[in-house]
Amino acid sequence: MPAKRVIPCLDVKQGRVVKGVQFKGLRDIGHPVELARRYDAESADELVFLDISASLEARGTRESWVRDVAHELSIPFTVGGGVSKVEDARSLLRAGADKVAVNSAASLRPALVTELADAFGRQCVVAAVDVKRDPVLGWRVYLKGGTEPTERSAQDWLWELNELGAGEILLTSMDRDGTGDGFDLPLLDWASELPIPLIASGGAGREVHFLEALEHGADAVLAATLFHENLLPIPRLKAYLAEHDLSIRI
Amino acid sequence: MSAAPTITLIDYDAGNLASLEGALDRMGLVHLRAATPEQAAATGPIVLPGVGHFDAAQRSLAERGWWRALPELVAEGRPLLGICLGLQLLAEGSEEAPRAAGLGLIPGIVRRLGPGVKVPHMGWSQVRQHMPHPALPDPKGAWLYFVHSYALEPSTESVYLADHGRPFAAIEARGMVMGFQPHPEKSGRPGLLLLQSALTWMGARTPVPEEPCN
Repeated sequence: MPAKRVIPCLDVKQGRVVKGVQFKGLRDIGHPVELARRYDAESADELVFLDISASLEARGTRESWVRDVAHELSIPFTVGGGVSKVEDARSLLRAGADKVAVNSAASLRPALVTELADAFGRQCVVAAVDVKRDPVLGWRVYLKGGTEPTERSAQDWLWELNELGAGEILLTSMDRDGTGDGFDLPLLDWASELPIPLIASGGAGREVHFLEALEHGADAVLAATLFHENLLPIPRLKAYLAEHDLSIRI
Repeated sequence: MSAAPTITLIDYDAGNLASLEGALDRMGLVHLRAATPEQAAATGPIVLPGVGHFDAAQRSLAERGWWRALPELVAEGRPLLGICLGLQLLAEGSEEAPRAAGLGLIPGIVRRLGPGVKVPHMGWSQVRQHMPHPALPDPKGAWLYFVHSYALEPSTESVYLADHGRPFAAIEARGMVMGFQPHPEKSGRPGLLLLQSALTWMGARTPVPEEPCN
Protein backbone atom coordinates (compact mmCIF):
# COMPACT_ATOMS: atom_id res chain seq x y z
CA MET A 1 0.00 0.00 0.00
CA PRO A 2 1.26 3.49 -0.72
CA ALA A 3 2.17 5.78 2.17
CA LYS A 4 -0.60 7.71 3.86
CA ARG A 5 -0.39 11.30 2.60
CA VAL A 6 -0.38 14.63 4.41
CA ILE A 7 -1.73 17.41 2.22
CA PRO A 8 -1.82 21.15 2.92
CA CYS A 9 -4.66 22.92 1.16
CA LEU A 10 -4.10 26.43 -0.18
CA ASP A 11 -6.89 28.80 -1.15
CA VAL A 12 -5.86 31.09 -3.97
CA LYS A 13 -7.53 34.33 -4.90
CA GLN A 14 -6.32 36.41 -7.83
CA GLY A 15 -2.96 34.70 -7.82
CA ARG A 16 -2.28 35.01 -4.08
CA VAL A 17 -2.69 32.44 -1.32
CA VAL A 18 -5.25 33.71 1.15
CA LYS A 19 -6.61 32.64 4.47
CA GLY A 20 -10.03 33.38 5.87
CA VAL A 21 -9.99 35.45 9.05
CA GLN A 22 -13.19 35.48 11.08
CA PHE A 23 -15.16 38.71 10.59
CA LYS A 24 -12.27 40.23 8.67
CA GLY A 25 -12.47 38.58 5.30
CA LEU A 26 -9.28 37.32 3.71
CA ARG A 27 -5.66 37.78 4.61
CA ASP A 28 -2.88 37.48 2.01
CA ILE A 29 -0.34 34.90 3.14
CA GLY A 30 1.94 34.79 0.11
CA HIS A 31 2.55 33.81 -3.50
CA PRO A 32 1.66 30.22 -4.45
CA VAL A 33 5.31 29.53 -5.34
CA GLU A 34 6.60 30.68 -1.93
CA LEU A 35 4.14 28.44 -0.11
CA ALA A 36 4.81 25.57 -2.51
CA ARG A 37 8.56 25.74 -1.80
CA ARG A 38 7.97 25.86 1.92
CA TYR A 39 5.69 22.82 1.95
CA ASP A 40 7.98 20.89 -0.39
CA ALA A 41 10.84 21.50 2.06
CA GLU A 42 8.62 20.52 5.00
CA SER A 43 7.96 17.10 3.40
CA ALA A 44 4.31 17.60 2.52
CA ASP A 45 3.33 14.70 0.26
CA GLU A 46 1.18 16.70 -2.10
CA LEU A 47 -0.52 20.10 -2.35
CA VAL A 48 -4.07 21.11 -3.21
CA PHE A 49 -4.69 24.61 -4.56
CA LEU A 50 -8.31 25.75 -4.65
CA ASP A 51 -8.85 28.86 -6.70
CA ILE A 52 -11.59 30.81 -4.96
CA SER A 53 -11.45 33.80 -7.31
CA ALA A 54 -15.01 34.83 -7.91
CA SER A 55 -14.76 35.79 -11.55
CA LEU A 56 -13.62 34.06 -14.67
CA GLU A 57 -11.32 37.01 -15.45
CA ALA A 58 -9.49 36.57 -12.15
CA ARG A 59 -9.01 32.93 -12.97
CA GLY A 60 -7.46 33.89 -16.28
CA THR A 61 -4.18 34.59 -14.51
CA ARG A 62 -3.97 31.21 -12.89
CA GLU A 63 -2.20 29.39 -15.67
CA SER A 64 0.74 31.62 -14.95
CA TRP A 65 1.06 30.75 -11.26
CA VAL A 66 0.26 27.09 -11.95
CA ARG A 67 3.19 27.06 -14.40
CA ASP A 68 5.46 28.70 -11.83
CA VAL A 69 4.44 26.22 -9.14
CA ALA A 70 5.02 23.25 -11.49
CA HIS A 71 8.48 24.56 -12.27
CA GLU A 72 9.50 24.81 -8.61
CA LEU A 73 7.69 21.96 -6.93
CA SER A 74 9.10 18.44 -6.69
CA ILE A 75 5.88 16.91 -5.33
CA PRO A 76 2.49 16.52 -7.03
CA PHE A 77 -0.23 19.14 -6.86
CA THR A 78 -3.91 19.44 -7.64
CA VAL A 79 -5.67 22.59 -8.81
CA GLY A 80 -9.40 23.15 -8.49
CA GLY A 81 -11.90 25.96 -8.63
CA GLY A 82 -14.41 26.60 -11.37
CA VAL A 83 -13.38 23.69 -13.59
CA SER A 84 -16.51 23.08 -15.63
CA LYS A 85 -15.27 21.82 -18.98
CA VAL A 86 -12.54 19.67 -20.47
CA GLU A 87 -10.74 22.75 -21.79
CA ASP A 88 -10.47 24.27 -18.28
CA ALA A 89 -8.78 21.10 -17.10
CA ARG A 90 -6.56 20.88 -20.16
CA SER A 91 -5.14 24.35 -19.58
CA LEU A 92 -4.35 23.53 -15.94
CA LEU A 93 -2.75 20.18 -16.79
CA ARG A 94 -0.77 21.72 -19.63
CA ALA A 95 0.48 24.39 -17.23
CA GLY A 96 1.81 21.58 -15.06
CA ALA A 97 -0.88 20.61 -12.54
CA ASP A 98 -0.92 16.87 -11.89
CA LYS A 99 -4.62 16.63 -11.18
CA VAL A 100 -7.67 18.83 -11.39
CA ALA A 101 -10.38 18.99 -8.76
CA VAL A 102 -14.02 19.36 -9.74
CA ASN A 103 -16.88 20.07 -7.39
CA SER A 104 -20.09 21.95 -8.17
CA ALA A 105 -19.77 21.60 -11.93
CA ALA A 106 -19.64 17.82 -11.60
CA SER A 107 -22.74 17.80 -9.45
CA LEU A 108 -24.61 19.96 -11.95
CA ARG A 109 -23.37 17.94 -14.94
CA PRO A 110 -22.03 14.52 -13.88
CA ALA A 111 -20.89 13.67 -17.43
CA LEU A 112 -18.05 16.16 -16.88
CA VAL A 113 -16.29 13.60 -14.67
CA THR A 114 -16.42 10.99 -17.42
CA GLU A 115 -15.27 13.48 -20.04
CA LEU A 116 -12.27 14.40 -17.90
CA ALA A 117 -11.42 10.77 -17.17
CA ASP A 118 -11.67 9.90 -20.87
CA ALA A 119 -9.53 12.85 -21.90
CA PHE A 120 -6.78 12.63 -19.26
CA GLY A 121 -7.17 9.36 -17.38
CA ARG A 122 -9.03 9.03 -14.12
CA GLN A 123 -5.87 9.49 -12.07
CA CYS A 124 -6.03 13.20 -13.03
CA VAL A 125 -9.58 13.66 -11.75
CA VAL A 126 -10.19 14.54 -8.12
CA ALA A 127 -13.84 14.87 -7.16
CA ALA A 128 -14.24 17.32 -4.28
CA VAL A 129 -17.41 16.76 -2.27
CA ASP A 130 -18.71 18.90 0.59
CA VAL A 131 -21.16 17.19 2.93
CA LYS A 132 -23.18 17.87 6.07
CA ARG A 133 -24.96 15.41 8.32
CA ASP A 134 -28.64 15.22 7.51
CA PRO A 135 -31.57 13.56 9.32
CA VAL A 136 -33.03 12.25 6.07
CA LEU A 137 -30.08 11.49 3.82
CA GLY A 138 -27.41 10.58 6.38
CA TRP A 139 -24.97 12.99 4.81
CA ARG A 140 -26.19 15.56 2.28
CA VAL A 141 -24.07 16.95 -0.56
CA TYR A 142 -23.70 20.75 -0.66
CA LEU A 143 -22.42 22.99 -3.45
CA LYS A 144 -20.74 26.39 -3.63
CA GLY A 145 -18.55 25.95 -0.58
CA GLY A 146 -21.27 24.42 1.54
CA THR A 147 -23.84 27.14 1.00
CA GLU A 148 -26.17 25.40 -1.41
CA PRO A 149 -27.88 22.12 -0.46
CA THR A 150 -28.57 19.47 -3.10
CA GLU A 151 -30.96 16.55 -3.01
CA ARG A 152 -28.10 14.06 -3.20
CA SER A 153 -27.02 11.78 -0.41
CA ALA A 154 -23.27 11.58 -0.04
CA GLN A 155 -23.42 7.78 -0.15
CA ASP A 156 -25.10 7.75 -3.56
CA TRP A 157 -22.97 10.54 -4.96
CA LEU A 158 -19.60 9.09 -3.98
CA TRP A 159 -20.40 5.74 -5.55
CA GLU A 160 -21.70 7.50 -8.64
CA LEU A 161 -18.51 9.56 -8.87
CA ASN A 162 -16.53 6.34 -8.77
CA GLU A 163 -18.65 4.92 -11.59
CA LEU A 164 -18.33 8.14 -13.59
CA GLY A 165 -14.54 7.94 -13.52
CA ALA A 166 -13.25 9.98 -10.57
CA GLY A 167 -9.76 8.89 -9.57
CA GLU A 168 -9.87 10.19 -6.04
CA ILE A 169 -12.38 11.76 -3.62
CA LEU A 170 -11.64 14.86 -1.54
CA LEU A 171 -14.33 14.65 1.11
CA THR A 172 -14.96 17.65 3.34
CA SER A 173 -17.20 17.53 6.36
CA MET A 174 -18.78 20.99 6.54
CA ASP A 175 -19.93 20.15 10.08
CA ARG A 176 -16.34 19.77 11.21
CA ASP A 177 -14.58 22.25 8.93
CA GLY A 178 -12.92 24.97 11.00
CA THR A 179 -13.88 23.42 14.34
CA GLY A 180 -10.61 21.68 15.17
CA ASP A 181 -12.69 18.96 16.85
CA GLY A 182 -11.47 16.13 14.64
CA PHE A 183 -12.62 14.53 11.40
CA ASP A 184 -16.10 13.04 10.96
CA LEU A 185 -15.01 9.45 11.54
CA PRO A 186 -18.30 7.63 10.80
CA LEU A 187 -18.29 9.43 7.45
CA LEU A 188 -14.79 8.12 6.71
CA ASP A 189 -15.75 4.61 7.78
CA TRP A 190 -18.14 4.06 4.92
CA ALA A 191 -16.52 6.42 2.38
CA SER A 192 -13.23 4.52 2.59
CA GLU A 193 -14.98 1.43 1.22
CA LEU A 194 -14.83 3.09 -2.20
CA PRO A 195 -12.29 1.46 -4.51
CA ILE A 196 -10.58 4.83 -5.13
CA PRO A 197 -8.38 6.83 -2.73
CA LEU A 198 -10.06 9.05 -0.15
CA ILE A 199 -8.72 12.39 1.11
CA ALA A 200 -10.27 13.37 4.44
CA SER A 201 -10.85 17.07 5.08
CA GLY A 202 -12.50 19.17 7.74
CA GLY A 203 -11.95 19.19 11.47
CA ALA A 204 -8.23 18.61 12.07
CA GLY A 205 -7.08 20.31 15.26
CA ARG A 206 -4.47 18.04 16.77
CA GLU A 207 -2.08 15.25 15.80
CA VAL A 208 -4.39 12.53 17.07
CA HIS A 209 -7.16 13.65 14.71
CA PHE A 210 -5.02 12.82 11.70
CA LEU A 211 -4.17 9.44 13.19
CA GLU A 212 -7.87 8.70 13.74
CA ALA A 213 -8.81 9.68 10.19
CA LEU A 214 -6.13 7.44 8.71
CA GLU A 215 -7.09 4.58 11.01
CA HIS A 216 -10.69 5.04 9.86
CA GLY A 217 -9.69 4.34 6.29
CA ALA A 218 -8.66 7.68 4.78
CA ASP A 219 -5.73 7.42 2.36
CA ALA A 220 -4.73 11.04 2.86
CA VAL A 221 -5.46 13.85 5.31
CA LEU A 222 -5.87 17.48 4.37
CA ALA A 223 -5.69 20.63 6.47
CA ALA A 224 -5.05 24.33 5.95
CA THR A 225 -4.79 26.65 8.95
CA LEU A 226 -2.91 24.20 11.16
CA PHE A 227 -0.14 24.04 8.59
CA HIS A 228 -0.22 27.64 7.36
CA GLU A 229 0.06 29.00 10.88
CA ASN A 230 2.62 26.34 11.74
CA LEU A 231 0.47 25.31 14.70
CA LEU A 232 1.35 21.76 13.75
CA PRO A 233 4.53 21.52 11.68
CA ILE A 234 4.26 18.78 9.03
CA PRO A 235 7.54 17.05 9.98
CA ARG A 236 6.28 16.72 13.58
CA LEU A 237 2.93 15.36 12.41
CA LYS A 238 4.58 12.84 10.10
CA ALA A 239 6.97 11.66 12.81
CA TYR A 240 3.97 11.19 15.12
CA LEU A 241 2.05 9.19 12.51
CA ALA A 242 5.09 7.04 11.73
CA GLU A 243 5.53 6.31 15.46
CA HIS A 244 2.00 4.96 15.42
CA ASP A 245 2.93 2.40 12.80
CA LEU A 246 1.36 4.08 9.82
CA SER A 247 3.14 3.90 6.50
CA ILE A 248 4.50 7.45 6.18
CA ARG A 249 7.10 8.95 3.87
CA ILE A 250 9.66 10.55 6.15
CA MET B 1 28.95 28.30 -22.39
CA SER B 2 30.24 25.17 -24.07
CA ALA B 3 27.76 22.94 -25.85
CA ALA B 4 26.42 20.24 -23.57
CA PRO B 5 24.35 17.37 -24.95
CA THR B 6 20.77 18.56 -24.98
CA ILE B 7 17.99 16.41 -23.54
CA THR B 8 15.12 16.05 -25.98
CA LEU B 9 11.67 15.96 -24.36
CA ILE B 10 9.05 14.44 -26.63
CA ASP B 11 6.10 16.85 -26.73
CA TYR B 12 3.00 14.96 -27.82
CA ASP B 13 0.18 16.27 -25.66
CA ALA B 14 0.40 13.36 -23.26
CA GLY B 15 2.97 14.36 -20.74
CA ASN B 16 3.48 16.78 -17.92
CA LEU B 17 6.41 18.62 -19.49
CA ALA B 18 6.24 21.66 -17.21
CA SER B 19 7.20 19.67 -14.12
CA LEU B 20 9.87 17.75 -15.95
CA GLU B 21 11.37 20.93 -17.34
CA GLY B 22 11.38 22.45 -13.87
CA ALA B 23 13.24 19.42 -12.50
CA LEU B 24 15.83 19.56 -15.30
CA ASP B 25 16.28 23.31 -14.79
CA ARG B 26 16.89 22.79 -11.09
CA MET B 27 19.58 20.24 -11.98
CA GLY B 28 21.11 22.59 -14.54
CA LEU B 29 20.52 20.18 -17.44
CA VAL B 30 19.90 21.62 -20.91
CA HIS B 31 16.73 20.48 -22.66
CA LEU B 32 14.37 21.22 -25.51
CA ARG B 33 10.85 20.19 -26.53
CA ALA B 34 10.42 18.27 -29.77
CA ALA B 35 7.00 17.62 -31.26
CA THR B 36 8.54 15.65 -34.15
CA PRO B 37 11.78 13.67 -34.57
CA GLU B 38 13.08 16.47 -36.85
CA GLN B 39 13.01 18.84 -33.88
CA ALA B 40 15.10 16.53 -31.68
CA ALA B 41 18.59 17.54 -30.59
CA ALA B 42 21.35 15.99 -32.70
CA THR B 43 22.70 14.03 -29.76
CA GLY B 44 21.86 13.38 -26.13
CA PRO B 45 19.15 11.46 -24.33
CA ILE B 46 15.53 11.44 -25.44
CA VAL B 47 12.83 11.45 -22.78
CA LEU B 48 9.39 10.01 -23.43
CA PRO B 49 7.04 11.25 -20.71
CA GLY B 50 3.42 10.22 -20.63
CA VAL B 51 0.14 10.32 -18.81
CA GLY B 52 -3.22 9.12 -20.05
CA HIS B 53 -4.29 6.19 -22.17
CA PHE B 54 -1.88 3.80 -23.85
CA ASP B 55 -3.67 3.76 -27.20
CA ALA B 56 -4.20 7.54 -27.34
CA ALA B 57 -0.51 8.10 -26.60
CA GLN B 58 0.48 5.49 -29.17
CA ARG B 59 -1.62 7.19 -31.85
CA SER B 60 -0.30 10.61 -30.94
CA LEU B 61 3.32 9.41 -31.20
CA ALA B 62 2.56 7.75 -34.53
CA GLU B 63 0.98 10.92 -35.96
CA ARG B 64 4.08 12.90 -35.07
CA GLY B 65 6.47 10.35 -36.56
CA TRP B 66 7.97 9.27 -33.26
CA TRP B 67 6.58 5.75 -33.30
CA ARG B 68 8.66 4.89 -36.34
CA ALA B 69 11.66 7.04 -35.39
CA LEU B 70 12.24 5.85 -31.83
CA PRO B 71 13.33 2.27 -32.66
CA GLU B 72 15.66 3.67 -35.35
CA LEU B 73 17.17 6.20 -32.96
CA VAL B 74 17.65 3.51 -30.32
CA ALA B 75 19.27 1.24 -32.93
CA GLU B 76 21.71 4.08 -33.62
CA GLY B 77 22.58 4.11 -29.93
CA ARG B 78 20.51 7.08 -28.77
CA PRO B 79 19.65 6.80 -25.07
CA LEU B 80 15.92 6.76 -24.36
CA LEU B 81 14.17 7.24 -21.02
CA GLY B 82 10.45 6.51 -20.68
CA ILE B 83 8.60 7.87 -17.67
CA CYS B 84 5.31 6.44 -16.35
CA LEU B 85 3.18 5.74 -19.43
CA GLY B 86 6.43 6.37 -21.33
CA LEU B 87 7.87 3.21 -19.76
CA GLN B 88 4.74 1.26 -20.61
CA LEU B 89 4.94 2.33 -24.25
CA LEU B 90 8.48 0.90 -24.44
CA ALA B 91 7.15 -2.58 -23.57
CA GLU B 92 5.74 -5.11 -26.02
CA GLY B 93 2.12 -4.31 -25.24
CA SER B 94 -0.41 -3.43 -22.59
CA GLU B 95 -3.67 -4.86 -21.34
CA GLU B 96 -4.94 -1.27 -21.50
CA ALA B 97 -4.93 -1.46 -25.30
CA PRO B 98 -4.94 -5.14 -26.31
CA ARG B 99 -5.04 -4.32 -30.02
CA ALA B 100 -2.17 -1.80 -30.01
CA ALA B 101 1.41 -3.05 -29.90
CA GLY B 102 4.06 -1.36 -27.79
CA LEU B 103 7.43 -0.20 -29.09
CA GLY B 104 8.95 -3.51 -27.98
CA LEU B 105 12.20 -1.86 -26.87
CA ILE B 106 11.81 -3.52 -23.48
CA PRO B 107 10.54 -7.11 -23.27
CA GLY B 108 7.41 -7.78 -21.27
CA ILE B 109 3.74 -6.95 -21.08
CA VAL B 110 2.04 -4.23 -19.07
CA ARG B 111 -0.81 -5.58 -16.96
CA ARG B 112 -3.56 -4.02 -14.89
CA LEU B 113 -2.93 -3.70 -11.15
CA GLY B 114 -5.20 -5.40 -8.66
CA PRO B 115 -7.49 -7.02 -7.68
CA GLY B 116 -7.63 -6.39 -3.99
CA VAL B 117 -5.92 -2.97 -4.05
CA LYS B 118 -7.10 0.52 -4.92
CA VAL B 119 -6.49 1.37 -8.56
CA PRO B 120 -5.02 3.70 -9.73
CA HIS B 121 -1.99 3.16 -7.54
CA MET B 122 -1.60 6.79 -6.60
CA GLY B 123 0.89 8.03 -4.08
CA TRP B 124 4.24 7.33 -2.50
CA SER B 125 5.61 3.81 -2.43
CA GLN B 126 8.98 2.41 -1.49
CA VAL B 127 11.21 0.89 -4.12
CA ARG B 128 13.85 -1.79 -3.68
CA GLN B 129 16.80 -2.87 -5.74
CA HIS B 130 16.32 -6.01 -7.81
CA MET B 131 19.36 -6.06 -10.15
CA PRO B 132 22.40 -3.81 -9.69
CA HIS B 133 22.79 -1.07 -12.29
CA PRO B 134 25.89 1.06 -12.95
CA ALA B 135 23.96 4.32 -12.72
CA LEU B 136 21.33 3.60 -10.10
CA PRO B 137 22.42 2.87 -6.53
CA ASP B 138 20.52 0.79 -4.01
CA PRO B 139 17.55 3.07 -3.18
CA LYS B 140 17.52 1.87 0.44
CA GLY B 141 13.77 2.08 0.79
CA ALA B 142 13.40 5.47 -0.93
CA TRP B 143 9.82 6.66 -1.40
CA LEU B 144 8.87 7.60 -4.95
CA TYR B 145 5.63 8.99 -6.37
CA PHE B 146 3.46 6.74 -8.55
CA VAL B 147 0.27 7.36 -10.51
CA HIS B 148 -0.76 4.42 -12.66
CA SER B 149 -3.30 1.67 -13.15
CA TYR B 150 -1.09 -0.65 -15.22
CA ALA B 151 2.45 -1.86 -14.62
CA LEU B 152 5.20 -3.82 -16.31
CA GLU B 153 5.65 -7.34 -14.97
CA PRO B 154 8.98 -7.73 -13.18
CA SER B 155 11.75 -9.40 -15.13
CA THR B 156 15.09 -10.84 -14.13
CA GLU B 157 16.57 -7.56 -15.35
CA SER B 158 14.32 -5.14 -13.47
CA VAL B 159 16.51 -2.61 -11.66
CA TYR B 160 14.02 -1.54 -8.98
CA LEU B 161 10.78 -3.19 -7.96
CA ALA B 162 7.82 -1.77 -6.07
CA ASP B 163 4.65 -3.38 -4.76
CA HIS B 164 0.99 -2.63 -5.12
CA GLY B 165 -0.91 -5.81 -4.48
CA ARG B 166 1.88 -7.58 -6.35
CA PRO B 167 5.47 -6.70 -7.29
CA PHE B 168 5.99 -4.75 -10.50
CA ALA B 169 8.94 -3.18 -12.33
CA ALA B 170 9.57 0.33 -10.99
CA ILE B 171 12.67 0.82 -13.11
CA GLU B 172 13.54 -1.36 -16.07
CA ALA B 173 16.65 -0.99 -18.21
CA ARG B 174 17.99 -2.57 -21.38
CA GLY B 175 21.26 -0.97 -22.35
CA MET B 176 20.61 2.68 -23.10
CA VAL B 177 16.85 2.23 -22.94
CA MET B 178 15.43 2.84 -19.50
CA GLY B 179 11.96 3.18 -18.08
CA PHE B 180 10.74 4.70 -14.79
CA GLN B 181 7.26 3.80 -13.62
CA PRO B 182 7.35 6.43 -10.82
CA HIS B 183 7.51 10.14 -11.58
CA PRO B 184 11.04 11.14 -10.57
CA GLU B 185 10.15 14.80 -11.19
CA LYS B 186 7.41 14.47 -8.56
CA SER B 187 9.31 12.41 -6.01
CA GLY B 188 11.10 15.05 -4.00
CA ARG B 189 14.86 14.99 -3.68
CA PRO B 190 15.33 11.21 -4.11
CA GLY B 191 13.49 11.42 -7.42
CA LEU B 192 15.62 14.28 -8.68
CA LEU B 193 18.80 12.40 -7.79
CA LEU B 194 17.61 9.31 -9.65
CA LEU B 195 16.67 11.34 -12.70
CA GLN B 196 20.01 13.07 -12.62
CA SER B 197 21.90 9.76 -12.30
CA ALA B 198 19.99 8.18 -15.16
CA LEU B 199 20.34 11.14 -17.52
CA THR B 200 23.99 11.69 -16.68
CA TRP B 201 24.66 8.02 -17.37
CA MET B 202 22.88 8.53 -20.70
CA GLY B 203 25.28 11.32 -21.57
CA ALA B 204 23.57 14.47 -20.30
CA ARG B 205 25.95 17.02 -18.80
CA THR B 206 25.56 20.36 -17.13
CA PRO B 207 27.11 23.06 -19.31
CA VAL B 208 30.61 24.08 -18.33
CA PRO B 209 31.29 27.82 -18.52
CA GLU B 210 33.98 28.55 -21.10
CA GLU B 211 37.28 30.02 -20.11
CA PRO B 212 37.09 33.77 -20.38
CA CYS B 213 39.05 34.80 -23.49
CA ASN B 214 40.79 37.98 -22.59
